[in-house]
Amino acid sequence: MDELLSALTGICGRDRVSDKLADRVCYTRDCGPSPGGIPSLIVRPISATEISAIIKVANEYRTPVFIWGRSTTFIGNGIEEGCILLALDLMDEIEQIDLERKMVVVQPGAVWHAVDVELNKMGWELAVPGPGGMFSCTIGGSVAYNAVPHGLFEYGMTGQHVIGLEVVLPDGTILNTGSGSNEAAGHLHFERYANGPDLTGLFIGSYGVLGVITKVYFRIRRIPAAERFAFYGFDSYEQAVDAAKGIQSQNAASHLVGLFGGPKPANYEQHDAFLHIVVRDSEPAAQERLRVAQAVCEALGGHPLDGEATRLYWTGHMYSWLRNTPPAHYYGNRPFMCPEVAGFMPTDSVKDAIRFLREDAIAHAEEFERYDIRIKCYDVYFSTNAAFIWIDTLYPELEDDAWQYGLALRSRYTDELCRRYMSPGGILQAIAPEVMTKLGTGFDFIKLLKRTLDPHFILNPGVLYLEPEVSHGR
Amino acid sequence: MAANASTPDRKGRTNDRGPRRIDALRNLVYQCNRCGQCLDFSTVGQAPKCPAFEGGLYESYAARGKFNIARALVDGVMDYDPDIAERVYGCTECRACAQDCFKYLDTTGMFTVLKEDLASLGLVPENLKEGLHGPGGLDETHNVYKAPHDERLSWLSDRARVDQPAETAFFVGCSSAYARQNMSVDTAGTLDRLDLEYTILSDEWCCGHPYMAAGELDRAGEAMEHSISQYQDLGVRQVVFNCPGCLKTFKHDAPQVLGQPLPFEPLHILQLVARMAEQGDLYFRPVDPKITVTYHDSCTLGRWLGIYDAPRTLLAHIPGVAVKEMPRHRETAYCCGAGGLIRYDYDQIAGRAGEERFREAVSTGADVLMTSCPACLMQFQQVRSKLRSRLRVMDITALIWNQMILPGEA
Repeated sequence: MDELLSALTGICGRDRVSDKLADRVCYTRDCGPSPGGIPSLIVRPISATEISAIIKVANEYRTPVFIWGRSTTFIGNGIEEGCILLALDLMDEIEQIDLERKMVVVQPGAVWHAVDVELNKMGWELAVPGPGGMFSCTIGGSVAYNAVPHGLFEYGMTGQHVIGLEVVLPDGTILNTGSGSNEAAGHLHFERYANGPDLTGLFIGSYGVLGVITKVYFRIRRIPAAERFAFYGFDSYEQAVDAAKGIQSQNAASHLVGLFGGPKPANYEQHDAFLHIVVRDSEPAAQERLRVAQAVCEALGGHPLDGEATRLYWTGHMYSWLRNTPPAHYYGNRPFMCPEVAGFMPTDSVKDAIRFLREDAIAHAEEFERYDIRIKCYDVYFSTNAAFIWIDTLYPELEDDAWQYGLALRSRYTDELCRRYMSPGGILQAIAPEVMTKLGTGFDFIKLLKRTLDPHFILNPGVLYLEPEVSHGR
Repeated sequence: MAANASTPDRKGRTNDRGPRRIDALRNLVYQCNRCGQCLDFSTVGQAPKCPAFEGGLYESYAARGKFNIARALVDGVMDYDPDIAERVYGCTECRACAQDCFKYLDTTGMFTVLKEDLASLGLVPENLKEGLHGPGGLDETHNVYKAPHDERLSWLSDRARVDQPAETAFFVGCSSAYARQNMSVDTAGTLDRLDLEYTILSDEWCCGHPYMAAGELDRAGEAMEHSISQYQDLGVRQVVFNCPGCLKTFKHDAPQVLGQPLPFEPLHILQLVARMAEQGDLYFRPVDPKITVTYHDSCTLGRWLGIYDAPRTLLAHIPGVAVKEMPRHRETAYCCGAGGLIRYDYDQIAGRAGEERFREAVSTGADVLMTSCPACLMQFQQVRSKLRSRLRVMDITALIWNQMILPGEA
């Protein structure tokens, strides 16, 4: 360990490498329920060159490296005892705002919302509004995990707006993707789909197992002129899903959220399900699209509710407003853990999923009560052609039995819904075995890529359940 | 819900390390969901929030890190040591983490408990310990400047009000009694002009804040009690402060430490004057030549005590003063770095934060950086000197004192 410490200190200097336990215990886990191991060293590089050197040293010493942005995910990082923890918080610069090429060049540790706010000051914004953890998550992490953003309906996934990346590969090689791979032209990033295969896509949603993202070239756009909001209650969840399908077919929303379980929005307990509708566009287009969305909802039995809750949710980025509730009381003050089961499914399957979840809660009501399991939500972000559901079943973290039951419930829901139609966006480390083993040849191919690029399993090993039997040659 | 210290944790371990206050906070500690909103003011843009973390240090210095450390403590993964002490005492107590906590947790309350444990183990940092208990320290002189106690009122020329029964009192505080005496003069002068009957204690002690910062709550309680009992004897019902730290110590800490409500209403001089200005009982002559000021919200006056409007109300009432806000202001104001007495042992953290905040003030193009806290004032004066800046630094009470006019005055 002394030699490894010495080698890393030689790269970053003593101030940016720590072996103190008081530091190391702070880098063990994300927001998820799975505890991780304690790293042996924390290293905080400030450049791709330093990261490259660190990775080479890690290969030499066969010591795994785990990548840390702000660790605001719920996936359970899978951090191994004794690993090197690569904290990217010092690489947080906005290197360039390029209004001509409509992109921002950002280091991976920059906080998502901070970058967006800097753009807002100029009348621009990131091409997607950002994931749930936007206030503190990083650009690099959001791309590496291909986070599901607010505005999924119109803007799609985070990764769709990445123009190019600079990545350090598991052997320490520094790679530029897309048009930026043209070394002769000076790594000029402006088009993702250039110079052969979409190498950018290889690293989006790959959870850092194939490389460390060290720079992101991300699309930006002008802030739309108008934002309009509507909120509807439905007497049945089937009606709400049908309305969502209608809005999808008419392209009548920028962001569409369905609420199908958990506490109902305050003052609207008489309804069974709800849709929040956000439209962003030019003034006349926003007006027209909202009118269409409203017509669809009302034709399918929707009751118009006060859209102020929708506006507060959208502008303040606080989920509590989805339930017409201010944040202060909503987020509670008890140590409840949120295990987060989430994934994409065809829009029509939402009906089956909600039916399954509601029936399951009734069938297991006694256990839910015994372990104080609370259903926080069965919420859905609708995309333009599908749906992304997240199922939050909270359990009291301090109660060991409840904790075990909560984790088992997470696995059971994931397994059941993945067998039917669900494909998770964020693949939790702890349930990766249940997800990845369902992929067949897809899983084999990802493992082949990993083995080829990272023969010593240095980068984020264990994440995605790629080769659980490998222990880095130790 | 206080967890029993001997209750086995998830891994079957029991805590046999003796009574530690942090063990009773297991429930609170586990409530942190590690979202990281305590690290940045991202709603303002690329703007740091935690002075210690921004100083280039590890997460262990920020709130999320300290909750992780606390969790490691209650889970038996580690025990208190000097490294933990450095991280806990390296906090400026700016409270930005608590304000933006996603779970609305009392982060600073948890830090105080960590300090209590550290203090009981003798792990208070050396310079702070020496300042409290060393020769000429707080125990002996009742001030943090190691100055003779009998010189506490050396700034006061007319002692007619001293120790006189009155409904109002002026609590001077150590900084304006010894280090920035012009603040005492301006505050007392303002009270005189307002024709208030007030008293000042000849045997005023430090409010107790330094003991609080060290985690020595019993001693803090003694210091608080010393002044409170004298005020009771004099029939005081309202105490005016010009130091937000002293005000917070009495208003926020004393009821918790002493277990009883304060027998008087504590308020900042700005609240008193702003109220009168709004009621039309007080006017201001124009500032000539006109100036542009940027107002720095002291963390204690702002985030701890919620006083954001009074200084702005006053500045708005003074002709010839234009206010230009810094990007981080009011609830998102960045700390000057002087809080928590960290200058004693962690001057680097304090210095970096002070420079960052001062540069933000310079970026507004203002003529004057205005503040309302002696600690902020001294910090900015020091930074100004170091940076050789032309931005003037001023206490708002001085401006009030210079410009105020009472009805009927010319």
